[in-house]
Amino acid sequence: MLRAKVWLLAAAGLTLFIFSPGGPVTDFGQTIPKTIGDWTASGPDRTFNRQTIYSYMDGGAEVYLAFDLRQIWSRKYAGPGGRELTLDIFDMSSPEEAFGALSCDREDPPAGVGQESTYGGGLLRFWQGRYFVSVTSSSGDESDGRAALDLGREVVKHLGPAGAKPEMVGFLPEASLRPARTSYFHGAVNLNNRFFVSGDNILHLDRSTDCVFAEYDAEAGEAEDLLLVRYPDAGKAAAARQSFLAGYLPEAGAEGLAQAENKKWVLAALHGNYLAVVFEAASPDGARKLVAAVKFPEK
Amino acid sequence: MKPALTRRDFLAGAAAAVLGASLGFGQDKGVVKKSRVVLARRSDVLDENSQIRQDILQEMLDEAAAKLVDETDGVGAFRKLVRPGETVGIKTNVWSFLPTPPELESAIKRRVVDAGVAPDRIGLDDHTVRTNPLFVHATSLIDVRPLRTHYLAGMSGCIKNYIMFAESQPALHPDSCAALGSLFNLPQVKGKTRLCVLCVLTPQFHGRGPHHFDRRYVWPYKGLIVGRDPVAVDSIGLRLLMAKRRLVLGKEQEVPPVPKHIRLADTRYGIGTSDINAIEFIKLGWDGDILI
Repeated sequence: MLRAKVWLLAAAGLTLFIFSPGGPVTDFGQTIPKTIGDWTASGPDRTFNRQTIYSYMDGGAEVYLAFDLRQIWSRKYAGPGGRELTLDIFDMSSPEEAFGALSCDREDPPAGVGQESTYGGGLLRFWQGRYFVSVTSSSGDESDGRAALDLGREVVKHLGPAGAKPEMVGFLPEASLRPARTSYFHGAVNLNNRFFVSGDNILHLDRSTDCVFAEYDAEAGEAEDLLLVRYPDAGKAAAARQSFLAGYLPEAGAEGLAQAENKKWVLAALHGNYLAVVFEAASPDGARKLVAAVKFPEK
Repeated sequence: MKPALTRRDFLAGAAAAVLGASLGFGQDKGVVKKSRVVLARRSDVLDENSQIRQDILQEMLDEAAAKLVDETDGVGAFRKLVRPGETVGIKTNVWSFLPTPPELESAIKRRVVDAGVAPDRIGLDDHTVRTNPLFVHATSLIDVRPLRTHYLAGMSGCIKNYIMFAESQPALHPDSCAALGSLFNLPQVKGKTRLCVLCVLTPQFHGRGPHHFDRRYVWPYKGLIVGRDPVAVDSIGLRLLMAKRRLVLGKEQEVPPVPKHIRLADTRYGIGTSDINAIEFIKLGWDGDILI
């Protein structure tokens, strides 16, 4: 009896997954319009998974594989003068992961597409629910950029409901936070492309770790930076702190505090299975206060 | 063993030293035999529509190759690089956003034919070099691709261009693609590379988005970096990227994270030199905004 109920629940969940908006990426071939203004779908739609992604992305695959990427659905649109738009929809498995994919790459201003977006130089990126989406124009010029934005606004309609950001984003102190510069990720490749720390993985980051990197307003337009890492257990967090201090801050004492070459302070502090690292702090007290303000969860 | 490059090396102004480059860049110590690298530039190689002028590009390639091997012209230079009766594989790069320009491929192929190699024994390929008979049986290889940054390896240059010779490309990805230099020791490749051409007509110094491409970060440098040593060629390419990034992105983003594979190609795999003091760097032609 219990087994029958479990099967019924599973079947219901599968039905919802397949037929609700934001279902399997292959549905997009039917739902997303093949014509947007002067632009028309060209060539076959393509789908890639974690194994075949390398045949599609030279250089970017690892960035997305460091998240829980499930599939990519891709379509090209041909426009005036032989120009091209490339639409890529990444099924990131969860809204948290979709937010993460966008959050590591948003140097451009927002575009008002999806839950959060960034646009510049003909390149649009946004997240909606469990999807991260990019629209790339081949020319990068302004008219193609407008078409990219139009396409993005149309695609949002087919991605299903909004989703929640990772809970760790809520742990960040809010005073002076630059929300649009907050990034969520797991691996060293994402950290180094966001904020280069070391050529070696001295923080022991991998898919079992969750990281938030945040910027805070400091004096004279400068920023203080906070990296918050959640490890699977306290022992791994302690080992990572020890590795970080040895590889990055060897002169630090027991507190894990030292002044870098630019006269700014770095602090690495443990809290259970969390490691908080402050970079670019104007003073030791400033670094300590930032760590003290982190809203670590109750055990 | 040198320590890993860290953010603090940038803050201390020591990043170049950690990467294997020294402040004595370009000085001729005249003691050891150096790897020669030639940078050839022409301000008129791109027309007003940014299209490549084939005739000018051919002249640039000829001048660079001639200087590289101390010959007087391009045909003579290629006769020193490849010989009649050989099978020559030209390893190009077809990345859709910034491929090796067809004009450059044809300029190289033309000179290989001029050197006496039969046209039907010249291969031009990227993704299928492991099975292409002209590459399986190649006695000489020519390595040609554009210079650009890369999310994982920091830089895509002549070393990384050979990744298609690997049985498993993902196997080369760990640790910022640290083991790329091993590609040049594969049986299909070892000892066969006669010429490396790093195309810097329109190099890319930064990337955004899933495909790591954004036209805002491509600039018309109008040059070719040519050598016989892929590590030396890439070391010069890295210096160019660093100079451009420092100028546009600032000191803290000077080095694209993390091009450790270039130094390791030298120190771990022994396929060339990454020490700038052991590179004889020769500049030809236009010197506007030369950066290095």
